Amino acid sequence: MFASLALPLALLITQQQAIADRLAGRVPPDVAALAMELGTDAARRGLPIDPIIQKAIEGSAKRIPAERVGAAMRLVVTQLDAAARGLRDGNAVLSADTVAIAAGAFALTAGLSGRDIATLARSGSAPADVIVGLRVAGTLVALGVPAVETVTLVTGTLQAGRPAGELLALPGRVQAEVAKGVTPAQAASGLARAAAAQSRRGPPPGRGQPPPHPAPPPHP
Amino acid sequence: MSERDFHPLVKQVLDGDITIADLPAELRAEGEEALRLLAALDRRPVELPDLTARVMATIAERPGRRLWRRVLEPREIRIRVRPWLLAPALAAAAALVLWLGRPGSPAAPSNPSGLVTVRFVLSAPDAHDVGVAGTFNQWDASATPLVRTGAGVWTATITLPAGEHQYAFVVDGERWVPDPAAPAVDDGFGRRNSVLTL
Repeated sequence: MFASLALPLALLITQQQAIADRLAGRVPPDVAALAMELGTDAARRGLPIDPIIQKAIEGSAKRIPAERVGAAMRLVVTQLDAAARGLRDGNAVLSADTVAIAAGAFALTAGLSGRDIATLARSGSAPADVIVGLRVAGTLVALGVPAVETVTLVTGTLQAGRPAGELLALPGRVQAEVAKGVTPAQAASGLARAAAAQSRRGPPPGRGQPPPHPAPPPHP
Repeated sequence: MSERDFHPLVKQVLDGDITIADLPAELRAEGEEALRLLAALDRRPVELPDLTARVMATIAERPGRRLWRRVLEPREIRIRVRPWLLAPALAAAAALVLWLGRPGSPAAPSNPSGLVTVRFVLSAPDAHDVGVAGTFNQWDASATPLVRTGAGVWTATITLPAGEHQYAFVVDGERWVPDPAAPAVDDGFGRRNSVLTL
């Protein structure tokens, strides 16, 4: 009985000490206290705490008033929750991965929806590739690619079994096309068509798995 | 070799100080014998190599020292250009240059351990100092200063772990500026953070 209570308590104290160490000297005491509270609660629910701590440090470095830093930290927690839900809808395994949740929260910050996160999560790729896919999707949306084209392009590339390096190259390829005069949406659509053609030919040997769900239809 | 001691007067004859006629009669036979022996001597000049050279030739040199001497000592080098060898030599040199410059060569940033080398660039001609702050350096504006490279262009090259990073440039310690060449997201404070996905 005592052990069953002592262990979680020890973990809680250790976690709070780790948060306090990272915030020490970087944020005002009231921001640190709120970050500690939000971080402890997030960890208890299986969410990553690093985005919350980063937001507290970022706000203080930018000399943002404490109440606005607090609001931004609460928004981060909301996005982490939404990302975890989206991942759970798409792939239950990924919803337990704090790195995947953080990547999903970034994609939400960039402009994707929980449904988009779920679609990317159920692409059938390896978890590590989905995490890269979520980050790349967020970056593409940040570049101005609409969410639909972004999800089509990233999902198609994942399902084609292309290596992570090709996913990571997508933002640069979109930027290169935009520099030639096309819109971000047109650039993404062109790349998505190429990925779809690759997918029809099948993944390279030893890579990818057949998708459990069909890819979303290409955006007109 | 036997050694014989001549009379001092006979030695004077050998030295050329006196002639044999000046010798007393009892010494003339000894004098003639001495002259005969002197005449039998081999008077060809003896050629001895330079002493220093002979001594140095007997000293065994260490191979490493010999190699260094061969490398460092000035020597005359004669180059003979054979036109029929020039074309293959140039082709081999061009192939070597192309091979060294191919994508993925060691000169290119490599990613064996999930680390990627990234170069940040900002054009800020009026700035006095520029730093880059982000999730990779705990948003510390002074942790990663950029260096002015001329014409108001500031750069910094750092190695980052693979992943998604957010950052902004900090101009003169107070102005937070997103990277104009990178995608950006809302920072939650009404500004924009640049995004780098590696």
